[in-house]
Amino acid sequence: MTIITTSQLTKIYGSGPTAVTALDRVSLSVEPGEFVAIMGPSGCGKSTLLHLIGGLDKASGGSIAVDGHNLNDLGDDELTELRRRKMGFVFQFYNLIPVMTAAENAALPVTLDGVRPAEAQKKAAEWLERFGLGERLNHRPDQLSGGQQQRVAIARALVAEPQLILADEPTGNLDTTSSDEIAGLLRQVSKEYGRAVVMVTHDPRIAAYADRIIFLKDGKVVEETILEKKSKTH
Amino acid sequence: MSIRHALLGLLAQKPRHGYELRAAFEAVVGGSEAWDVKPAQIYTTLDRLEEAGLVERHSDLGEGSEPARRVYALTEPGRAALHEWFAAAVEAQHQRDEFFVKLMVALFSGEAKPERIIQTQRVHLYKEMHAMTTLRDSYDPRCAMAQILLLDKAIMHLEADLRWMDITEMRIEAIKGQPFPEPEIRPRGRPRKGDTGSTFPPPGSVRSDQ
Amino acid sequence: MNIQLTLAYRYLWGRKLRTTLTTLAIIFGVLLIFGMNTVMPTMIAALQANVQGAEGNVDFTITSASGGSFDPAIVEKLWQVDGVRAISPSLQRALNLPLDYLDGDPARPDTLNAVNLVGVTPEVARSVRAYPIVAGRYLDDSDNASAVITQTLADAFSVKVGDTLRLPSAAGMVELTVVGLLPGRIAPGNEEVLVPLAQAQKMTGETGKVNVIELNIEAFAGQERRARVQTDLEAALGENLRVGTLMSGDELFAALEMGQIALSIFGALALFMGGFIIFNTFRTVVTERRRDIGMLHALGATRRTILGMILTEGLIQGLLGSGLGLFFGYLMAVGVMRLAQGPMSAFINIQLGWPVISPGLVILSVVAGVGVTVVAGLIPALRASRVTPLEALRPSLAEVAEKRDAGYGALAGLVVLVLSIAAIFSGQAAFIIPGGFAFLLGLVLVAPALVRPFANLFGRVIALMYLRAGIGGLAQNNLSRQPSRVAVTASASMLGLAVIVAAGGLVSSMAGLLGGMIKDSLGSDYLLVPPAIGVWGTNVGATPALAESLREIDDVAAVSTFRYGTSSSNGQAISLIGIEPVAFQQVSGLMFSEGSRAAYAEVASGRVLIVNGPFLIATGTQVGDKVELLTPNGYVSYRIAASATDLLNAKLTTAYLSQENLQADFGASEDVFLQLNLEPGADREAVGARIKTLAADYPQFKVISGADYYASIMAQMDAAFFGIIALFIILAFPSLIAMLNTLTISVIERTREIGMLRAVGATRTQIRSLVVAEALLLAAIGTALGILGGLYLGYVFVAAIEIMFPMGYYFPLAGILAAIAIGLLFGALAAIIPARQAAGMNVVEALRYE
Repeated sequence: MTIITTSQLTKIYGSGPTAVTALDRVSLSVEPGEFVAIMGPSGCGKSTLLHLIGGLDKASGGSIAVDGHNLNDLGDDELTELRRRKMGFVFQFYNLIPVMTAAENAALPVTLDGVRPAEAQKKAAEWLERFGLGERLNHRPDQLSGGQQQRVAIARALVAEPQLILADEPTGNLDTTSSDEIAGLLRQVSKEYGRAVVMVTHDPRIAAYADRIIFLKDGKVVEETILEKKSKTH
Repeated sequence: MSIRHALLGLLAQKPRHGYELRAAFEAVVGGSEAWDVKPAQIYTTLDRLEEAGLVERHSDLGEGSEPARRVYALTEPGRAALHEWFAAAVEAQHQRDEFFVKLMVALFSGEAKPERIIQTQRVHLYKEMHAMTTLRDSYDPRCAMAQILLLDKAIMHLEADLRWMDITEMRIEAIKGQPFPEPEIRPRGRPRKGDTGSTFPPPGSVRSDQ
Repeated sequence: MNIQLTLAYRYLWGRKLRTTLTTLAIIFGVLLIFGMNTVMPTMIAALQANVQGAEGNVDFTITSASGGSFDPAIVEKLWQVDGVRAISPSLQRALNLPLDYLDGDPARPDTLNAVNLVGVTPEVARSVRAYPIVAGRYLDDSDNASAVITQTLADAFSVKVGDTLRLPSAAGMVELTVVGLLPGRIAPGNEEVLVPLAQAQKMTGETGKVNVIELNIEAFAGQERRARVQTDLEAALGENLRVGTLMSGDELFAALEMGQIALSIFGALALFMGGFIIFNTFRTVVTERRRDIGMLHALGATRRTILGMILTEGLIQGLLGSGLGLFFGYLMAVGVMRLAQGPMSAFINIQLGWPVISPGLVILSVVAGVGVTVVAGLIPALRASRVTPLEALRPSLAEVAEKRDAGYGALAGLVVLVLSIAAIFSGQAAFIIPGGFAFLLGLVLVAPALVRPFANLFGRVIALMYLRAGIGGLAQNNLSRQPSRVAVTASASMLGLAVIVAAGGLVSSMAGLLGGMIKDSLGSDYLLVPPAIGVWGTNVGATPALAESLREIDDVAAVSTFRYGTSSSNGQAISLIGIEPVAFQQVSGLMFSEGSRAAYAEVASGRVLIVNGPFLIATGTQVGDKVELLTPNGYVSYRIAASATDLLNAKLTTAYLSQENLQADFGASEDVFLQLNLEPGADREAVGARIKTLAADYPQFKVISGADYYASIMAQMDAAFFGIIALFIILAFPSLIAMLNTLTISVIERTREIGMLRAVGATRTQIRSLVVAEALLLAAIGTALGILGGLYLGYVFVAAIEIMFPMGYYFPLAGILAAIAIGLLFGALAAIIPARQAAGMNVVEALRYE
């Protein structure tokens, strides 16, 4: 059982002579609980791949299935719902709503799904406490450090209990110590909570936290390296 | 060399006998995996230090059936040498690099694809780094910070290697286009006209993978 | 609480200054609509009663077919008729005064030989006509032998309030106590003695009877509505009573109606401007929050959720703004009425009460306020809902799309502009007025494309002003960077200023027209004016002997007379004015809208008419047509040579013809209005005295110096126009809010940039200058567009009126100067707060701002 399966996945931007092939027949799969890093030089298509997996962008060719749903077959609203229930996102710039508290931000996906705010925030608070932010539930994003904001973002990604976390350069905006914290947290998400984590990064130190690294170059997979055999015991 | 000074430092803490010194040294550097020192190396070093008058040896009468052991202590000149070491900076290590040589050989011999060489090495380094990261994270920062710091250093060096490899990979085409450095034959004959030598390899980018 | 509501509330609360400014825009729009519409009907109703009273006009006058008196019980039946607003039964009789009753001197001709006794039920009468009291009090129910008389009558009798007035009556000499005075009549005659109905009945021996019922219907009833009410009234009255209407009443209503429409248009414009401001704010909000929105989308917010969030923000602001707008609108209404009371009572005797709040208007204002907010927020909200989650990660994608939109908009705008200019040449009212608004719309659309060239143009000027440090150039570039936002702001100021310029154009054209008409129609040196100007039929004229003897006076250069006759064509009543074409041209003149003065010669030569605009419309004819006029001897065919009017007959369906034809075909030979000019250098005093002596034999005429008359009318007009212009200036205020809003947004948005400028060495003064320069540039663009739009709009108004009424377009120099002054002043004012904010920024915090 895999959580992500792509087959011959292709993405072409533009058309005619100016067309750029961002992804070229990429086939891969990710298993539940696996921590996968996608690496490669800028412009290799790693972000495009993540966006396609997240249903944020449409593929030009090939197929992609997340938790058994073929994303090509889904409309915008269905994709939105899939994102809400099955995926969590962590962005480089945290993208927290500046006018909401940490708990409210972390609770957003379930609030958007119609759960009562009080209940949603209770759930969010549990995650935030696990991530050492129990004291900062009612702080606004501008009162938190970058690392803390990113931890709120990870709590937000997890609050709807999705099986898949997608992280796009999650440490791109952080210093070394915070980067290690966040990468360790993502590994914890994978190992302790059994979520599949797919992370795009260009930082080798961060990528080394993953179980598996997929190297992309010019839109193609050039190498897959298993750093650690996935163990069922965790 | 730093074993010398590490021993002086450990003796500055308190007088110790040889076996104890070795154990303490290993604890400082993060275990025998990190830096394996043979007992003979310890004793040889201690002998030299004693000859130089930096340490002095006493005999510790063993209790009961235990044999008598030699206990070493720091002398005043020894303390001075230790402080001299503290005062000076440590030279960065420009060591011979096997991977670099392998890559160069692959380039000029044409026997292997340099991209392949790099990828193999990269995978190896990632695995190593993953292992070190896992190991480091298994240490409790409240009681094993020394080990964490040492592993951090190693991880960061690995990171530097990986980054260097990324750069190198992007520049492989450029290297292929350049004339390969020929050996400079100094004593015999004049250099041929137009042979200006080469600045290759770039200095300062190599280090041992030890 | 629902997530959209929470987010909307938090965002609003988090950006207090912007929220305040946006809400202010809505408040202002609602305030104007509610305030104006509260004040205006109150004022117009007062004005209506007053003007009608002063002109002797009510909607309908019911008299007996036989001319006798009748039982007032019929009033009950009339109240059943739909649309009737007020009914006043009265008993009116002319009381002839014995010869030499006032002065007792047979040698001198009497100036007054009859008074008009009017018996009314005091409060009921006031519902139909205004009886402005200049001294003493109005009648009340306890009065018996009391009277309210006109000032002029009191002067003639030499009585004052509290004195006794002795009048002959059917019951012998009656003594009445004068309790109050009405304003003097400009023209003599029609001197009223207002008494309680019972007293009049006693004096005339008509106990329990009335002979006139005056009746007003709802304000602003259209032509059709009035016709229907008349039919209903006739049905209710039966055979013996008949309904009379006054033609000129229709024109008056048309004028009032125009006023009401104009005010509604301005209210709508104000709200429209508010809409622009809100649109602008929301667009910035959406751009600024692109990443937040993209993130929400990525997290699983549907388009509807995001649309809902933005619209909820609009709704909150709309409700808040509308509520406050209603409150301040009421305050404004109270204030305006208090302020207006003084000047208005000075010349039209209006009592203004407290403003009346109509629930319908409250609902309408709130719906308009909230509606405009939500609609203005809709486009940005829709755009927000289309933000793809990708933009959360790559926010730069958005700007390209906006620029492309601007290109298409400019093209569409150009098309609209061309169409609207074409409309003006069509000459069709149906196209011209929409054309005016289309022109504004076109400017709004084209504006984004104009921002860069305009900014370059004005940027040079500003750069000269701020020569040091190149701040001017920076301001200019800042503006060019956000052309569409600048364009929207400029559009909002444009609308405000366009209104001022248009009003200036309209007012100066109207003043020019009226001034010209008064000068032409009444500009002769002396006028012999009958009691009722324009309602010629009620006047007793003079034989040609008067004109002859006037001509014989030395130094009188020319005498021109009007003779009056009536006719009808196609069932339309027509008033005929007989002129002496040659003398008329010398002394007075018509304003031609079609044809030329050559038509006078044609009129002299045969059965030829010059007709006015209402005539053409009423009879459905055109210049050059033949028209059948009813004479006592059957129909006679006349040719229409030209279309023209004078001031006195502008509102009536009038045809001018030669006095010879008037006498030959219609048998009318009485002069009802005389004008004369003196020889240059004549002794005005001496000639004036001679004219007055001659005219003394004709007490129905009042001798007026044309110059004095002109001056007094122009003074009144200036006062009225000043009020109108003041009103328009209020309308420019939203443009102030718009600029304030945009500048604040642009300062907030560029916080980090400003921090950087400060960090690299810009002084606080330079930063302040930067914002001020930007404000002035913005204002200059808005003003330039506003003047352009205003000129066109004003021209359009004039062109639309011109269809009815000959009216030249006067270039509104004053309006333009006012617009420039107001535009730049507001620009500078708008810069104060944002400039202080920008200059006062903490550098470190500014650099860190996200």
